[in-house]
Amino acid sequence: METKHSFIIVDDSELDRFIIRKTIERFDKSLHIETYQSAEHALEVIRENKDGGSKLPAIILLDIHIPIMNGFQFIEEFEKLEPNIRDNYTIVILSILLSVKNPVGIGNKLKKEIVNSFIDKPLTLEKLTSLLTQIRSAQKIR
Amino acid sequence: MVEKIKILYVDDEPENLLGFKASLRIDYQIITATNIAQALGCLDAHPDIKIVFCDQRMPGKTGVDFFEEIKISHPLPVRILLTAYTDVEAIIDAINKGNIFRYVQKPWAEVDIISAIDEADKFYLANSMLSVKNKELQRAYDELNKFAYSVSHDIRGPLSGILGATNLAREIDDMDEMKEMLMLMGKSLIKLDTYILSMHDYYSLQRGELKIGEIDFNTIIDDLKDIYTVISKTNQIAFNIIIEQDEVFRSDAVPLKLILNNLLSNAFKYQDKNSDTKSVDVIVKVQNNLATIYIKDTGIGILGSHIGEIFNLFYRANFQEVGSGFGLYNVKSALSKLNGQIEVTSVMNQGTTFRVTIPSI
Repeated sequence: METKHSFIIVDDSELDRFIIRKTIERFDKSLHIETYQSAEHALEVIRENKDGGSKLPAIILLDIHIPIMNGFQFIEEFEKLEPNIRDNYTIVILSILLSVKNPVGIGNKLKKEIVNSFIDKPLTLEKLTSLLTQIRSAQKIR
Repeated sequence: MVEKIKILYVDDEPENLLGFKASLRIDYQIITATNIAQALGCLDAHPDIKIVFCDQRMPGKTGVDFFEEIKISHPLPVRILLTAYTDVEAIIDAINKGNIFRYVQKPWAEVDIISAIDEADKFYLANSMLSVKNKELQRAYDELNKFAYSVSHDIRGPLSGILGATNLAREIDDMDEMKEMLMLMGKSLIKLDTYILSMHDYYSLQRGELKIGEIDFNTIIDDLKDIYTVISKTNQIAFNIIIEQDEVFRSDAVPLKLILNNLLSNAFKYQDKNSDTKSVDVIVKVQNNLATIYIKDTGIGILGSHIGEIFNLFYRANFQEVGSGFGLYNVKSALSKLNGQIEVTSVMNQGTTFRVTIPSI
């Protein structure tokens, strides 16, 4: 059986959180979804591993342009966490990207092992399906 | 009165210095030095020296060496070499290494010196204008960069949200869910609209000329009062206004309104939604040609570590409400046009007070 993921949405836009949640629900109504307006709050929950107590691996859909702690700062802090916590999460940047080759202008700053992939907003069912296919097949190889 | 041009003259022979000073001190401010070390000290002490004359034959260092050195350490003053006609080598070096502006033949005639000073002064002015313009250009480019980035994000952001929502709408059957989405779409559109309006403010502030007139703060506040009284009533925020103006105040009404409108809008926006005693106070006092304006709220406050950045373009210190990152930047631009100042004090969860002072023009 394929492993199911839970989702953590980090986005300051209410409309975008709504769209992402609904799109995931359309893909699979049974998936566990948590949403955060603030990256700091999301990080705190991850740090204390309180996210619903679920041991399911989680995909973090992370917006970059968030006030106070932005997506990059979130990633920086995330990197400092214990490996056994980090391993439970896959970070996917879901944001407004300026170009695919150099996403958000600083793509080469980010380590590939931390950020799994980039998705340009808005999230659609097609984008989500191909993301999950890619993540699941990578896990089979491992 | 036009300030005298400051000139440094370096020569190891005191008689030369005296002669130079004697014939030119009426029209120019002359500073003299008998050696290179002293000359460097003068340049450090008087950064506004515009022209440096130096004799080529000096003990230790030559005039050319000196110019070569100050070309790097003190690049602003215009360099003029004094030398005898036979020093062809020195002149070539002075041009190639010291980048001198002119050389004046020794023994010098007063008329040559004066014409050299006139030309050098024009050159200095043109250069400093150029450097001012360059700085302005650099700033404009920096802002343009921020703009290109922000426009793509702040305009594409809400648009992509609305696009995502329209895609999703085809799949939604539940009417309540649809209504919720429409409400969120509406919020995104308001955000986009606010952004475009502020961008317009930004542009008119950067390019607009001031139109000075007599300002009656009662009239200015009345216009704003209409807008904010509605918000005050619907959100149960007490709105108090005190205006004390007994004298004529001259300024430009447009940037003034922009300042007040932005600060008021923030004061109402960033209220603590759970608090029972919400208020916004406006106090305007005009005294001795100075308007002091306080805008005080009982809102959520600004974190100390963010206070330094709130006036930066596109900076947002909060999630609440629809911030564009333009508001306070525009306030600051408007204030700098009116020669005004702004100070902010804030306590988390208690409120923020902005104190604005604007002189009458």
